[in-house]
Amino acid sequence: MKFTCETVQPLLCSYLDGELSEAQARPTRAHLLDCLACRETVQEGKVIRRWLAGAREDVEVPRGFSARVARRAFAGDPGLLVPASPPIGLRVAGPPSLLPFILKLSALAAAVLFFFSLLIQRTSLPAGDDLQASDRSWMFEPAAVEVPAPALEEDVLGTAEEVPGAEESVEDPESTDR
Amino acid sequence: MQPAVTEDTTLVEETLGGNQLSFQLLVERYQSRVFGLVRHYTRNGVEMEDIVQDTFIKVYRKLDTFQHQSSFSTWLYRIAINTALDFLKRAGRNPVRAVEDPEIVGTPGAGGSARSIAAPDSNLEREEVARITHEVLDEIPEIFRTVLVLREFEEMAYQDMADLLGISIGTVESRLFRARARFKDALVRLHPEYAVGISTR
Repeated sequence: MKFTCETVQPLLCSYLDGELSEAQARPTRAHLLDCLACRETVQEGKVIRRWLAGAREDVEVPRGFSARVARRAFAGDPGLLVPASPPIGLRVAGPPSLLPFILKLSALAAAVLFFFSLLIQRTSLPAGDDLQASDRSWMFEPAAVEVPAPALEEDVLGTAEEVPGAEESVEDPESTDR
Repeated sequence: MQPAVTEDTTLVEETLGGNQLSFQLLVERYQSRVFGLVRHYTRNGVEMEDIVQDTFIKVYRKLDTFQHQSSFSTWLYRIAINTALDFLKRAGRNPVRAVEDPEIVGTPGAGGSARSIAAPDSNLEREEVARITHEVLDEIPEIFRTVLVLREFEEMAYQDMADLLGISIGTVESRLFRARARFKDALVRLHPEYAVGISTR
């Protein structure tokens, strides 16, 4: 199978990097033997690789870096850039963080304050000398009131009649002074 | 490679079991490579150390989520690149992002095109070659710079790069092709003395 420039061009990068299968590399090599333009493209790629290869530098790792990082990781250090929670399922060595304890204490204090605020609200109804908010039994138990018997007048005819307005003398529980 | 992979797996399991020394050994195995990778995102030594440290702390925090679908190094590099990019974003130094303009593919900058570029002069000091190369790399969009760095400095295979970046092998090929074109254009723009056969349109 003979490759054309149009076929080979997209493959040249992979050819340069040794990523082509032999089935593709063989016809690519054959094409390069005959095509100056494609050969120049490959050559240019090699020049770029020489520039990049020339920039390879040994990096000096700070002394004690690995021990320092391992210590911080196991201590639950979240890192400088992104705060994070400790990994799930991993035992973390080192002193525990105070933050969870502080958060729990704050939540407990908030709950206690809320409870007390409710309690204060219930007991803060206006209280007079006689009226006490905590005692509301008067709302439910009718006062023991003596209802005077209707006054009777002797009828000229000798029958007893209720005195008009006598009913009005029945005490209204709501108006009774205690 | 198999023994290294087995050793990584053992160290990961021991770390998950709470062994701090095993994690330290894991860091030692990869710290140079991660520093080398992060160096292409910042040249500041303090920033480099912060980013690499945060990378390994993230690795430790997420170790229980590592499912061995890719190699440990691929997973580690992904975290390192994301950490470096996050750092740059927070520092207000957003890396240059490419607009995937098909018209730009294979097309040199307007106003002129160099047929080719010259190799670094053999008389040029190694430090100068490195300085020029990093200067050029800083000019190209981050998605292109990343594939060039992974390929040329970390010598990663296309499949590993695809796994790391979460893209297809075809996209890796395409980005590498464009990355090299961008590198050439930027080198010519910044250092025209290395252009060969400049022609104008």
